[in-house]
Amino acid sequence: MAFVNLTNVTYKYPLTQTPALQNINLRVEEGEFVALIGPNGAGKSTLCYTLAGFVPHFFKGELTGSVEVAGMQTNQSSLHEWVLNAGLVFQNPFNQISGAKYTVFEEIAFGLENIGVPRDEMKVRVEEAMRLTGISDLADRSPYSLSGGQQQRVALTSILVMQPKVLVLDEPTSQLDPIGTREVFGVIRTMAERGMTVIMAEHKVEWIANFADRVIALHEGQILLDGTPREVLTSDILLDKGFGISRYTSVARRARTLGLWKREGLPVTLEEAAEGFKNA
Amino acid sequence: MNIEISDLHFTYPSGVQALRGISLTIEAGEQVGIVGQNGAGKTTLVRHLNGLLHPTAGEVKIGDWDTRKYSVAKLAARVGYVFQNPDDQLFSRDVRTEVAFGPKNLGYPKEQVEALVSEALEMTELADKTEANPYDLSPTWRKMVAIASVIAMDTPIVIFDEPTTGQDAASVARIANVIRVLRERGKTVITITHDIDFCAENFERVIAMSQGRILLDGKANDVLGQEEILAATYVDPPQLARLGRRLGFKETVRNEEEFLAALKNMSA
Amino acid sequence: MNDRLSFYRKRNSPVHALNPFTKLILVSALIFYGLTAKGFWTATLMVAFVLLPLALASKLLKEYVGVALKVILPTAGFMFVMQSVFIPGGTTEIFRLGFISVELETVQRSYLIASRIFLFISAFVLLLLTTHPSELMSDLTRRGLPPQFAYVIISTLQIIPQMQAKAQTIIAAQRSRGLDTESSFFKRAGLLVPLVGPLVFGSLVEVEERAIAIEARGFTSTRTKTFLHDIPDTPADKFIRWTLTLFIIISLAARLWLS
Repeated sequence: MAFVNLTNVTYKYPLTQTPALQNINLRVEEGEFVALIGPNGAGKSTLCYTLAGFVPHFFKGELTGSVEVAGMQTNQSSLHEWVLNAGLVFQNPFNQISGAKYTVFEEIAFGLENIGVPRDEMKVRVEEAMRLTGISDLADRSPYSLSGGQQQRVALTSILVMQPKVLVLDEPTSQLDPIGTREVFGVIRTMAERGMTVIMAEHKVEWIANFADRVIALHEGQILLDGTPREVLTSDILLDKGFGISRYTSVARRARTLGLWKREGLPVTLEEAAEGFKNA
Repeated sequence: MNIEISDLHFTYPSGVQALRGISLTIEAGEQVGIVGQNGAGKTTLVRHLNGLLHPTAGEVKIGDWDTRKYSVAKLAARVGYVFQNPDDQLFSRDVRTEVAFGPKNLGYPKEQVEALVSEALEMTELADKTEANPYDLSPTWRKMVAIASVIAMDTPIVIFDEPTTGQDAASVARIANVIRVLRERGKTVITITHDIDFCAENFERVIAMSQGRILLDGKANDVLGQEEILAATYVDPPQLARLGRRLGFKETVRNEEEFLAALKNMSA
Repeated sequence: MNDRLSFYRKRNSPVHALNPFTKLILVSALIFYGLTAKGFWTATLMVAFVLLPLALASKLLKEYVGVALKVILPTAGFMFVMQSVFIPGGTTEIFRLGFISVELETVQRSYLIASRIFLFISAFVLLLLTTHPSELMSDLTRRGLPPQFAYVIISTLQIIPQMQAKAQTIIAAQRSRGLDTESSFFKRAGLLVPLVGPLVFGSLVEVEERAIAIEARGFTSTRTKTFLHDIPDTPADKFIRWTLTLFIIISLAARLWLS
């Protein structure tokens, strides 16, 4: 049995006609790092919300099919139990700050207070999580005084400290500057390397190509492609549908028609592109 | 209409020195991309161009206007400014009314407002959404409404603050197209962006800022090739520039055409 | 910008060391007594002999006086003018200011009201100066206040400066579209829509996202909550609380009895 298991999932938000997700079948094994790509409106966020339990528990609407994460069924559990299973981090770092706490340390402890973790254990877990994400030096700062990248790492740490079994990320770097993006991606990579199951919606194709185990392309609420980064990101099926494609792939595709790219497949990373063009 | 910035310093009331001596001339019709990490002073700089901020020291001139002597509402006739978050400016019941707000404020005659609005809607691919409520549109399309509402003001200078943030590939392509049309019409376009590939492909001139100063300023190819200096402001060169460097190209390339041309030269 | 919107000033003082709930009871007792007691000087005396010494003991006299003056001067001035202009009818004229005659009764009435308002506000100021808001809320939550209620209070305090910043951005965005915010008052009324519309819409989005964010951290969990900070509640605290409660009951009873 897969760790994450979605079977025939179709979902409609309240007061809408067209389903946001249509007949999604998805299996993710423990420890996999899966990237979700697709144009805006393809259903990436909805899928993230579904994995994290907010669809249907928070947004209501109509969900059919079955959603199972780490042996738990979404329709048989309430949201506050589900969030211990799957942690969610989304785009806007500012809106993820609880607003109830005055220091980063307190902010990260907030979730543990809510679920009744004893004080001594709480402190140990907060410190450990901050070390892991490299924000120990921010402990006494106000969460509102931080940069976007720092805030997003605080948001990530606040979720990781709850020790969810799956980490769900909805474009966590889309609102960040280059250094913030680098900081946040650094933490995500660490988590993936430590064997955490990570499912992340993301536009930054070059990064996905380098680090994800698997890429799923969503289009109009359906899974269009599911495979290795190279299989998916170089596929002609993505063309003209609003998908972001790496410049390496698209320039090699043009070079191929000019006879300047001679390899079988197209490149997705700098390495592959450099390699392929050198030998041409 | 030229932009003249001389020895511009700006300190926020909190005491933060955001700009420390910026001197810059931007000629009419130039396309300029500004890069650099948050806090480098990019937004503070462009907010001086339409008078939202006034220099602590130094001077900013838009054509023959010193920005200190004109209100923001007056300067709006010369400098259009698309804010980063469309939700900070949209309020009308339908797209057409929203887009007409700016040109009406500028006091253009009715027929001209109509014409400018229609043209802006066409350019932003919103022609089929004119009756929609902006709030019912997706964030991607709200962004286009915000862009249209500034374009319709027909200013000689247009500023975009992070236009591609949170946008998908199709939307980025639409925005690039708007910038191309503006260039063809001889408008000056100044764009703050973190998307370095977008910057390389759409702007001939690039300014890199760091800590309130200009780090680099010049032709995109020259600036974006300065890997070591750009690293100081955490900007990676564009993908194709990096690939070109790996392949030993002499020149820095900034788009697919240049890359392919350089590649042909190499193999020839 | 303010790092945190909180009056709280950290000091090592006996007042800071009191349990937040004790301080809340203390403030309530002061206010209750000050507002209901009949004596003309009661509020003034309580400020002079209770609040000022407490401020001194908390090593925050300067801050207390500073905030208090900022509040009291405009309030007192306002009361005085209102009373003088709208509720004449005294008999002992002190002096005349143009067509307004200033009477002793008016001055007394204004003073009484102003001193009570001052007591009310400055007692709270002292509470906020010496008590960390999240400790106050944690303590009250532990004593049975619904966590949602505590959350709304604390987060509102924190979000106000962010809302102000957002309003500034919206105004800047609309001015950039040629909106003339420096025009006449009547024209300005029409400017509200472009400013308030985006603010409301933005807040709706923000509220939903924040709800998701705290939900993702188990806010509605049914388990018994724990607290990061240990908030001491000493026998002295309990003694003070009981004494104060008793004091209020007795004074109330005395009033009812005697009247």
